Amino acid sequence: MNHANPSRPLSGLGLSRRRFLGTLGAVAAAGAAADMTGLNVLRQKAMAEELKRRGKRVILLWLAGGASQFETWDPKPGQATGGPYAGIPTSIPGVQISELLPKMAGKLDRTAIIRSMNTQIADHGQGAELMTIGRRPEPGVEYPDLGSIVAAELARADSQVPDFVSMYTATEGRMKTSAGFLGARFNPMFLTDDPMPRNLARLETISDIDHQDRAALRSFLSEGFARRVSSAGVASHGAAYERVRGLMASDTLFDVNEERQAMRDLYGPTQFGEQTLVARRLVEAGVPFVKVARGWWDSHGQNFETHRELCADLDQVMWALLTDLEQRGLLDDTLVVTLSEFGRTPQINGSLGRDHFASAWSCTLSGAGVLGGSVYGKTSEDGTEVTEGEVKPGDLFATIFAALGIDEHKEYMLGSRPIPIADFGAKAIQDVLA
Amino acid sequence: MSDPKRYERSFEKHAKEMFFCAALSSDGAAGFAGASDGKVYRFDLNDEKAERVALEGAGHSSYVTGLARAGESLVSVGYDKRLIVWDAKDGKQLRAIEGAHANWIRGVVAFPDGSRVVTVADDMQAAVWDVASGEKLATFTDHAPLTPTHYPSMLFAAAVSEDGKRIATADKVGHVALWDADSFSQVGEFEAPGMYTWDPKARVHSIGGIRSLAFSPDGGKLAVGGIGKIENVDNLAGKARIEIFDVAGGSRLREIQGEKDGVVTRLVWADDASWLFAAGGPGNGFLTFWNPESGERLREEEVGGLVHDAEFASGQEAFFLAAHERVEYWKRKTA
Repeated sequence: MNHANPSRPLSGLGLSRRRFLGTLGAVAAAGAAADMTGLNVLRQKAMAEELKRRGKRVILLWLAGGASQFETWDPKPGQATGGPYAGIPTSIPGVQISELLPKMAGKLDRTAIIRSMNTQIADHGQGAELMTIGRRPEPGVEYPDLGSIVAAELARADSQVPDFVSMYTATEGRMKTSAGFLGARFNPMFLTDDPMPRNLARLETISDIDHQDRAALRSFLSEGFARRVSSAGVASHGAAYERVRGLMASDTLFDVNEERQAMRDLYGPTQFGEQTLVARRLVEAGVPFVKVARGWWDSHGQNFETHRELCADLDQVMWALLTDLEQRGLLDDTLVVTLSEFGRTPQINGSLGRDHFASAWSCTLSGAGVLGGSVYGKTSEDGTEVTEGEVKPGDLFATIFAALGIDEHKEYMLGSRPIPIADFGAKAIQDVLA
Repeated sequence: MSDPKRYERSFEKHAKEMFFCAALSSDGAAGFAGASDGKVYRFDLNDEKAERVALEGAGHSSYVTGLARAGESLVSVGYDKRLIVWDAKDGKQLRAIEGAHANWIRGVVAFPDGSRVVTVADDMQAAVWDVASGEKLATFTDHAPLTPTHYPSMLFAAAVSEDGKRIATADKVGHVALWDADSFSQVGEFEAPGMYTWDPKARVHSIGGIRSLAFSPDGGKLAVGGIGKIENVDNLAGKARIEIFDVAGGSRLREIQGEKDGVVTRLVWADDASWLFAAGGPGNGFLTFWNPESGERLREEEVGGLVHDAEFASGQEAFFLAAHERVEYWKRKTA
């Protein structure tokens, strides 16, 4: 077991190592984070592995409200539960997905489909919390969001960009999550109405030179104070200011107008497309975790027409993202996850809808650390139950951590209590790991 | 004026399938329903206890979405993009046309003389077919493939006027196009945007669309059916909605908003235009007869499942309806 900083509260999690890596990170920051080959200082394999791990990123495409597994990754054509859409062949021999995802059908070579999620909670709020923290909540422990964990594990101490950006525009089901016991440093930058962060721009009444001068004066005074009064609080105060400067300098990352039209066309004109393009810009700049929520898939009525609309969005955007990441050489280091709070019922209700269903549903992992072209788990012919390879939320989280090179057995210490990074008893799915 | 209150439920039959479309034999003795299992079933309307019979042949590989009797033939269409011509008398498959459209076929309507049918599909094309030969005579469209918010649109509904001279087609965003049935040139258009709800904020997707069309017996009016504005696009939680247009002038003559929630999937005018029959629903279906002149609700009945289609017998002595996991047969009692 890798015990992180067992003698201190979690506010000091991994600090000494982070400081050490911060030095190296400053070197890496001068160039592309993924290009580590020129760093001759790396003599030790462990250090190289650590830096390689730190180059990993995650984009989570959160299909809020619960996408139907039947109309996406686990079609059951011909079954009474299957709905009207056909299955189509994919780039994985013998594997079909819904005809609503034609572009992705031809691009599964870097994707693992997991068809055997059994998470049991079929309530939006509780299901979303479950799939956000990877375990059932517990009184007295504020568990962190997956994004916060990844940010804590992969972010550089000297990062000039946010560690965790979460875009959730739809108002339905919007849930502001937190880093919990990992501390506010890893809380998400939560973007809702506007894709651009608010209050990030420099005041027009202050020139950039004035702004820099003020920062230099603040830094001078702060460093002097820190020499006299050494504490984590003082250090954190200084670091926070530096990060604000970095964030202000990175506001163009959120602007899709910075991209050429051909790239914008690749992702498409929808809000989900534009936000996912922003997500790519962010991970390219070194943001460890970006969540893009596409809501709302809660199709209690007219499920098939809802999925006709939303799957077109998902198909175009996911295909574009994987293509773009691949062309930029970023896919080896970027894990793309599609996930919902649950799936949808095999039974089709009287309004041609599907209701909430958490007993047998699907998600995908693509890119970093993933065995592409793989399918894990099986559901019954009619999709009512998992028949092979049941996956719990903790197992999925452990798999994500393993794919990113994060020790999935690691334990955080909350006071004297060890808290495993993935839920108790969780196991990574080795079959989908590269 | 024929009294809609005289219709009585003769029988109902339950099944595990969903029935999306209905047709009647020329003598009115048999009802046909297209089902979610890809089959077309024949029901003996004179014998309530008789078992349904699936028509012979390969049939469809997905939901059967449209049925139309054309003379002594029966034409079915479905999500499998297939158009099948059946012999309505012996129930045998006569012809199957694969790839009749490039995308899911939403419906089929026969011309009054039974020689031709018009189909509409999510390739956003309308097509006219010669029933006897299976030849496609024309394709035409005035329906954009994408909604204003860049998502795929859908072409749900078609109607043919009783004189066979006009075709109407209607789509998800509420656009209605009128066509000359001989030249297939467009002769008019209407807009019914109230049938389409785009939710840009809470859920960021859409619901609705025009699901039914019907020319008045004289061809002067066109009734358009769907669902009104919806607060929660997760469900069919909007009021059933009908708009009636003046075909020649293009103006909207009347808007009828039902008290019941749900989408109007079928519209039929009385032979004397004294009432307008609307069927549909959310989970619980409805049958409503409206006075098309005053907008007065003349009669309303509940059906235990969303009504997807209904077909009236010649003379409107009876109707047969296809619904969620049931079919029903209604007859008009004598005065």
